[in-house]
Parts: sequence; C-alpha cells; structure tokens
Amino acid sequence: MKVFITDGTAEGFYTAVFDAYRQDGAVITSQENRQLSFDTQIVNVTADSEKATRVRNKLDKLDRYAAGDIDLALRSADALKEQTAFEYIKLIVKNGRAVRRMLSVPTVIEMNDIISRVTGEVHKMKGFIRFMETASGALYAPYSPDNDITDLIAPHFKARLGDQRFVIHDIKRKKAALCDGVTWFMAEVGDADIYLSEYEKVFEDLWKKYYSSVNIKERPNERQMKGYMPVRYWKFLPEKNGGQ
Amino acid sequence: MLDATTLQILTESAKYDVSCSSSGSKRANRKGGLGNASVGGICHSFTPDGRCISLLKILMSNECAYDCEYCPNRRSADVRRARISPDELCELTINFYKRNYIEGLFLSSAVFDTPNRTMELLLETVIKLRKQYNFNGYIHLKGIPHADEGLALKAAKYVDRMSYNIELPSEKSLKLLAPQKTKDSLISPMKKLQTAMIYDRENKVRRGRSLPAGQTTQMIVGASPESDGHILRLTEYLYRHMDLKRVYYSSYIPVVASPVLPAKPAGLLREHRLYQADWLIRFYGFDVNEICGEGENLSTEYDPKCAWALKNMHLFPVEINTAPLEMLLRVPGIGAKSAYKITEARRFCALDFDNLAKMRIVLKRAKHFITCKGKFYGAEGSAARAALLIDEKSCTDENEQLSLFSNTENSLSALTGEL
Repeated sequence: MKVFITDGTAEGFYTAVFDAYRQDGAVITSQENRQLSFDTQIVNVTADSEKATRVRNKLDKLDRYAAGDIDLALRSADALKEQTAFEYIKLIVKNGRAVRRMLSVPTVIEMNDIISRVTGEVHKMKGFIRFMETASGALYAPYSPDNDITDLIAPHFKARLGDQRFVIHDIKRKKAALCDGVTWFMAEVGDADIYLSEYEKVFEDLWKKYYSSVNIKERPNERQMKGYMPVRYWKFLPEKNGGQ
Repeated sequence: MLDATTLQILTESAKYDVSCSSSGSKRANRKGGLGNASVGGICHSFTPDGRCISLLKILMSNECAYDCEYCPNRRSADVRRARISPDELCELTINFYKRNYIEGLFLSSAVFDTPNRTMELLLETVIKLRKQYNFNGYIHLKGIPHADEGLALKAAKYVDRMSYNIELPSEKSLKLLAPQKTKDSLISPMKKLQTAMIYDRENKVRRGRSLPAGQTTQMIVGASPESDGHILRLTEYLYRHMDLKRVYYSSYIPVVASPVLPAKPAGLLREHRLYQADWLIRFYGFDVNEICGEGENLSTEYDPKCAWALKNMHLFPVEINTAPLEMLLRVPGIGAKSAYKITEARRFCALDFDNLAKMRIVLKRAKHFITCKGKFYGAEGSAARAALLIDEKSCTDENEQLSLFSNTENSLSALTGEL
C-alpha cells in the first residue's frame, strides 16, 4: 500500500491526487505521525503546480463547485480529510458530474460531514469571538478554532465593524486576520503584546453582570448550554471567566 | 455611565420574555457605521439555563403604572425599581456590540407615566441609536399598548422587529386579568404595522422599510380556560392573516393566591405540545382542523403529528422511494431536513432501510409509517404500534419540573415577563 504524504496545502493535495490516482488502495494524508504497517510505502509529495492545475481543470469541468467543497474540507481538523476529499474526487470522475446531492452514498455523507463541521464552526465563531478594546482603540480577539477558518470569518467582521481596526488571532495556528479599517489581510502572528483601553474592564464586568442576571437559575440546563457552547470554547469567553 | 445594579434590575425584569431571536433581517451597515443584521440570526452566548443570548434584552424602566394580575412589575408589587437613560442605553449597546457580545438590542419597558410618554422615550432611544450612534445592528422593540399608533409606525422605520404581547388567548380573559389592556389596544397597532409592511413590499421600498423582520407576539397558556384548539386557531389566524413571524407561548404557573387565577400549573408539556403544533402549521402544511378540534386539547401521550398519523392510518405506510415531499413531511419522526435528504438521495438510487439509517434519518417512530422498497419494518397491529409510539416526555412528572420554581419572586416573573 502506498501512502502519499502532503504538505497540507491545496496544491500539495491536488499534486498527490495526480500521483495517487491510478494506484490501487493509495492513501493521501498530511498527518506525518500516522501509524504505518510493514508493507506501507511512503511517498513524500512535493507540490507541483502543473500537476495540481491539471487535476483542478479536470475537476472544474465536471463540477465547478467541487473545488470549493475541497477548500472547505482541507481546512478541517479531521485526520481523514485528504483521503475523504480524494475519494470524493474519484466519485465525481466516476460519475462524470457533481455528486454532492447523492445523499445516501457513504463518501458523500462523510464529505458533507467534514464540510458542515467547518461551516458550522464558522457560524459559531461569528457569535463566540470576543473582542477586547486596546489602548489604541483597535479591537483584538484571540481564539483557537478547531478548523482553519480565520479568513472565512474575517469578511463577516469587516462588514460589521466598518472602519474599525481589528485583529482576529488564531493562537494555535499562529496566524491572524488584520484589518486597518479599510482592507483586511492574513498574516503570520506569533505572540501579541496587548495593552487594553481603560474602559475595557468596565464593559467586561457589565457583560458578566448581564450574563448572570439574564439566566433563570431556577431552571438549570447545563447540558444544553454545553451542547450549544462547547467547553473548549470557553477559554476566550469573559462571561465564562476564560473557562476557569 | 450605567451602574451594575441598574443593569441587573432591568435585565432581571426583562429576562422572562421568551423571544431572543435575531433572524429575519439583512440590514446592511452604512458608511462610518457599526453593525449589520445577519438574516439567519446569531447566538452569542448560552446561559446555564440552556437559553441563547443573542440580544441585549433589557427594560427602559420597570416602574409600571399598570397592575396586571400576573406581572412581576405591576404597580402594587414590592420590587426594586430602576430606569436607564437613552444615552446610557445607546452606549451600552454600542460597547457590547463592538466586542461581539451581542447581535443587537431587544428594548422593552414597563408603562411609566403614560403609554405615550413611554413609547416616545423608546422611540427617542432607537432613533438616537440609529442616527447619532450610527448603529445598524438588530433592534427588536416591544410595542406599548394604548400608545399613539403614529409612534409605533414611526418606530417601525428604525427597528427590525416589533412585538405586542397578546398576553391572553381571549378578550374575556384579558378583561379579567389585565384590565388596563384591551384586545383592540394590542391588535389595532399590529394591523397598522402589517399594513405598513404590505405597502413597503408592494411598492418595493428599498430604504427604510418598516420592520424587515416582521412582528411576533407572546401569550400565557393555562392562566385562563381556553383550550389548545382555541389557542391554535388564534395562532393560525395570526400567521395566515396578520403575517406574524412567530407566536411564543409561556405556560402559566400559580403563585399568587388570586380569585381570578387558577390554582394548577399549565405544565411545560402543554407548552411543548403547542410549539410542536405551531411548527406543523407553519412549516409542514398542516391545517389546524387536522391537528386539534375547536374545544379540544392536544394529546399528552403523542406529539401532534404522531397523534394525527395514528388517526389516519389509512394513509400509511408510505413508500419512501415514491411518496411526494408533502407526504414525507407528514411521517412522524421525519422533519424538513430528513425529508429533503430523502428526496435528494432517491433521485440517484432506490433507498432501503439501511440507507436511511446511514443517512441518520431517525427511524424510531418513522419505521411504523414507511416502507422501503416495499418492505415494512414497523410493528404489526395498531395496539402494538400505539404502545410503542407513546412519547417518553409524557411519562415524566411535569409538576416535578415545575417545582424548580421554588421561590415566589421568580415563579411570579416566570409567568410572562414585562408589560
């Protein structure tokens, strides 16, 4: 069995699809620490724009939205995302057309699951991101999403915050969306030194007061709260005291 | 700046209002402004009672001139009173919004002074928020009964949604329990607002449309003798003839020994069943006459769709691969999402029982009403089927759930909220 290991980029993935396509039982992954059996042959894939483009062109011809599906899937934290996306491409080629509505086919179900966990987190983070006002008046939001979604949520906040300057910082992936009030862009950001505005604590405390006052404590339903707002997200929510 | 105690008093007086939705409007941000509305709505946090926080839900004041029998803020109640100024409220909203704590404002108030004076101050606040603070996020404004209807129509130009609480399902009950409110003082402004919305729609008004997210209302169930059938007919009227977006129900709990209020609670199950029936009327193409007779109550043992299906077994089982969408939607356990999945998937290949399970269609109830490629997987015999379908929720003791409202102050508030 051959395992194709990619660098995690889209180009690397499409190159691997090109190389692995005619190999029976080939597996594509970006997980280097994968458990390997004795008869496994490892192939390290070097991204090759020519090969990647050929796969993309073929795919675009069969289903012009498939690349969008794959872009979403490759942002996932799912260990099998490349393999599922690979199977998805094979299915599209086999059928010669879009397959996303074949809702009883296992590969389509898995692919849709991976995608909906990514888009689901995008939606959740539109609500759970918490900005702090810095001394300079810019807004700063650190967070740590399961999937790589920062550039997907930035346009939402750009539209909403108008000419405010803001930063949405993915702590885990060390990258951030930076907005100067006019345009936004992605950049690598390691640690950030933040000086808060003098009013920050006042509004954070009022928010905590609001949160505790609006709760009906005689009707506890913590299970439901945690279902909608998983504990791993609490770290960045002032009303949950950063999960403490 | 606003102090924490005022915020606490005005939040606690507002928290029992059921609605917290921020959906239905796609208001855009303006140049130099803050905020927009997201049409699907966004939840920003969840409280330990399992409810979502989407809007800053707050009263302008809880000093009330009215004395409604069931209300925690009524004139004769001994509670702490507070008031917030329009500027304080605007600043709080802007600062919460900027930090992404909230999706917008849900502003309501007790009737201090006169209804007109109250409505004027609410209007002043939302205009200030939109014009002076250039805020374009979601605003839900509560309508004040008996206030000048011109004020409501003006407010409708600035906010996304308005709601007048119907409070009780009949005029007779309203007269008895909330004598200062009349059916006309609630329905008349709702109709005026509806007319304004229809005008905007027909004339394709783009800017400054009235209430892009429409109207909602809320009523207490079980404080008065109306049957579920009566309530659901009112609901259907509100949806089909007054274009309401949502009707909220809150189940009555007795706390005050009052000669005009019943001694027994309505129960959370009744509220739950009404919501289920409400969904069937809005999204599943059911007519109220199919679900519940005029003077009847909904079944406690079965959910309304299941109760309907058991009474109409001559229509079942339906073949999953050929049944039209309208019929799939009538299968107990199959909701809009599952029906969509089935109609999509079956265009490519015939589905068997195993396929449905893999597609995560919930089959616990549905299997008694469907066939897959002609095969039936449900129970044989109507008695066995009926026994298997009894809703577990109807077996739990609802009085036990209600006793969670152990102290009087909160039980009182739980009735309906403000106004």
